[in-house]
Amino acid sequence: MSTAVGGSISRKDGWVKVTGRAPYAADHPIAGVAHAVAIQSTIANGRITAIATSLAENAPGVLAVIHHGNAPKLYRPENDFMSATKPGEARVVFEDDRVHYSGQYVAIIVAETLEQARYAAELVKISYAVEDPLIETDAALDSAYLPDEFFGEKLTTKRGDPDGALSGAAVTHEASYTTPIEHHNPMEPSASIAVWNGDELTLYETTQWVAGARKTVAQTLGIAEEKIHIVSPFIGGGFGCKGFVWPHSVLSAIAAKKVNRPVKLNLTRKHMFSACGHRSETKQHVRLGAERNGRLVAIDHDTVVQTSTVEEFVEACGNTSRFLYSCPNVRVRHRAVRVNVATPTPMRAPGENPGLFALESALDELAYKLNMDPVELRIVNHADVNEHTRKPWSSKYLKECYRMAAEHFEWARRALQPESMRDGNVLVGWGMATATYPGIRSPGAAKVRLLQDGSVDVISATQDMGGGTYTTMAQIAADVMGVAIERIRTVLGDSLLPPAPVSGGSMTTASILPAIRKAAQDALSKLRQLAATMPASPFTNRPHDDIVAEGGRVFPKGADPSSGLAYEDVLKRTNQSEIEGEGYTGPGPERDKFAFQSFGAHFVEVKVDPEIATVQVSRVVSAFDVGRIVNPKTARSQGYSGVIMGIGMALMEHTVYDSRDGSIVTSNLADYAIPVNADAHSIDILFVDKPDPFIDSDGLGARGVGEITVTGVAPAIANAVYHATGRRIRDLPITPDKLL
Amino acid sequence: MSTSLDGFDLVTPASLEEALGLLASDPAARPFAGGTDLMVQLEAGRLRAGRYVNLWDLAELRGITESPESVAVGALTTYTDIRNADVLAREYPLLVRAAEETGGTATQNRGTIGGNIANASPAADTPPALLVYDAELELRSTAGTRRVPYTAFHTAYKQMILAPGEIISRIRLPRRTGWLDYYRKVGPRRAQAISKVCFAGSIAMSGDTVADVRIALGSVAPFVVRAVQAESVLRGKSINDEAIAAAERALRSEVAPIDDLRSTAEYRLRVASNLLREFLSHSQ
Repeated sequence: MSTAVGGSISRKDGWVKVTGRAPYAADHPIAGVAHAVAIQSTIANGRITAIATSLAENAPGVLAVIHHGNAPKLYRPENDFMSATKPGEARVVFEDDRVHYSGQYVAIIVAETLEQARYAAELVKISYAVEDPLIETDAALDSAYLPDEFFGEKLTTKRGDPDGALSGAAVTHEASYTTPIEHHNPMEPSASIAVWNGDELTLYETTQWVAGARKTVAQTLGIAEEKIHIVSPFIGGGFGCKGFVWPHSVLSAIAAKKVNRPVKLNLTRKHMFSACGHRSETKQHVRLGAERNGRLVAIDHDTVVQTSTVEEFVEACGNTSRFLYSCPNVRVRHRAVRVNVATPTPMRAPGENPGLFALESALDELAYKLNMDPVELRIVNHADVNEHTRKPWSSKYLKECYRMAAEHFEWARRALQPESMRDGNVLVGWGMATATYPGIRSPGAAKVRLLQDGSVDVISATQDMGGGTYTTMAQIAADVMGVAIERIRTVLGDSLLPPAPVSGGSMTTASILPAIRKAAQDALSKLRQLAATMPASPFTNRPHDDIVAEGGRVFPKGADPSSGLAYEDVLKRTNQSEIEGEGYTGPGPERDKFAFQSFGAHFVEVKVDPEIATVQVSRVVSAFDVGRIVNPKTARSQGYSGVIMGIGMALMEHTVYDSRDGSIVTSNLADYAIPVNADAHSIDILFVDKPDPFIDSDGLGARGVGEITVTGVAPAIANAVYHATGRRIRDLPITPDKLL
Repeated sequence: MSTSLDGFDLVTPASLEEALGLLASDPAARPFAGGTDLMVQLEAGRLRAGRYVNLWDLAELRGITESPESVAVGALTTYTDIRNADVLAREYPLLVRAAEETGGTATQNRGTIGGNIANASPAADTPPALLVYDAELELRSTAGTRRVPYTAFHTAYKQMILAPGEIISRIRLPRRTGWLDYYRKVGPRRAQAISKVCFAGSIAMSGDTVADVRIALGSVAPFVVRAVQAESVLRGKSINDEAIAAAERALRSEVAPIDDLRSTAEYRLRVASNLLREFLSHSQ
């Protein structure tokens, strides 16, 4: 019996990536492709009064200039995530003359070469009637409103009597916490190549959701879904900004239609800062009430976020506060303001990540007031059930995470008082925080194809944005089929394949792997049926359920495997080129009975140079309960990336807007600092690795590990910085000028 | 964004003499060395069209040569060359540290010391090191060669004393012994970062007293500056709390940091002062 699942198997896609042969969206060689450049608005609010295009149209190589005045009719898609139609913004590109934010697309140039298109883009003169933009949250607070729901979750909820409990609490803590606008900044900027063949369109994309891209673009163009083919085999990082469908995918399509040849639109880094979403700024106010023994009696988590004037997206910071700890009186409220900034979108653990910065910082502050170890405070308030939904957890090993990580970190050596640990001149601080993310599962389909040479294709219209799906899909099939993983090919990232959900919400593992297992089992069942039809064979006159197919061989039940035939010999001798198994699985009634949630804990050491107030994250130990670990190697990499992204969030990342005109001042990777290798030091990632018994009915028990890893990192760092310095920074990022 | 290359003309002379001739005949022509600054400006649409004279292939501007009195570094010496030069590592370690701290590998392979000076960014990392080493610049034009102390080179933000048609050809570093060096760059992250503050110091002690001292800073003024008042406060003194406090006061009076995207004036002032104290404490 093979044991690929649970093995530290290197990425199947690693070799083509490191040798530069993996085609990312803009890399696909398309004969006769023309090049497009999108022109962005330089104002943040107002109207286009004129677009002078004649100079550009007459420039060398220019094939077309498209804008709201001459664009083809486009249609607003349904904008319903659950039915796979989710544009980043409800307004369709070139809909009218209105400008809602700086960087909005106002025209597109198509030319023979990229250089010609860029040159012509400079010749387009756009006149605007400028209105004062609303950029900053504080300036828009008067117009804050209460959005009702977000992805089916109520955004304002209350249980018990938080105000009453707070007024009677023995110990209280109250403070405001803010996180800035952050951008995903994947290595690969978004790109789209559109190729029309008659009325059929192929789009080469970098998308976390080929099914969503197909349906959303189809509805926007007003053509049938089956006329569109989305191809996205490799994604150079997404983190959420390639989940929903953004205007560039439609722009390339209408441009290609207009010039009657393939068109490539490759966004620049600067485009990326307004083209495909960001994490909203958040302003959170947290009130906690506790008894002397640390038991929480009240949590009040109040959030204000930004959304745009063309869409409603709410960073649901407070929703985790409803259940992360046991507490009888909880109020959560979210308000939103509409500003002239491009639309926010999910960014790795939307809601949980900035929400936990506030909650976990506040809990740390409460621990000091109680003179209590912060781990002990969390254990005292452990939630044995989900007190918001009142369901039992499907499985929960949070206490084990605290124990594992604390022991590995040697937390017991920590001095309780801040400013009490030093390494020579350098201030040392230890902090911790809880991590959490839901265990989401969606319906998913897959095929497993056994070929006559004995190799296997594992097929699904899912995506691998770097997390390791190419590899984990093959691992499942290897175990069920009993075929070496080297002989398994993974095929994904194509809308013609069996449908799969978005690669978001950390749901891919739980959604796709059970479907692959079913498909592999189905393929083996068909193989046994095929064997049963073979004349003059070891299987003659045996019913197929008296035949075993495992470990690469087909043989009579009870017999030695060597008495039978190899899989490929069954196919050859029956003149079959291949057999194909199908699997379709999804969540069921277990969702009504249990709360599915992953948990974890980060323990962080920082070193602060007192002369210059720079923070070095010198040591991190993180432990996660995410169900079974399918591949420890790729799972650990998710852990490293979450921690490093959290270091960026805690110490560096901050998109700066000019409040006068709404332009982005930091729209490049020199001014928008993210961590480099030198900022990442010792990081240890641990897993509880206990299967979730209820998330699937196939005994796999894996909940997914993509997003939880970043949650809790920033507060753990902020808590460590306080422990080192006695300075509580509640406004991210913790830059040296705030700390000195 | 700009990629119209209309009006851009890059000429590649075969010799330094030809290059100087080209620069003399067209006062608007600009020298082009490694391109690590100019190509960024081109991409951003901020590079002025016109003639550019490509110096990259001119062997006369390369190489590191030693004489008993000085070490001369060709203007086209790249950061990578600096990192690999044993004589610089031995005698001018701050320059090597600065080269290590500048950009990533690609930038270090193309970026040149002469270009770093002529680009005149107040946040550049090698100029503070050059200032503490009393660097002298050799400037060449068709009119001849002149030498100027680097301290007198920058005059205002992005302004310098280069005459039309003149280029930096060589940087001469006087040889010296008995100095203790100190360098710290503070950026938003630990590599590939634009400085918030960059501090270089060098001190020669005579017994308990300061025989001589050099202090230079980046990102605290419109151009990289030498803190001559702080230096003069220290010369001939013992390093004690009183002397350090006096030097800090002098330093604060001669730098003029600003609030910008990368930091605040207050932070820069305090860090400059703290680093001065750290430098002097290390020298005690």
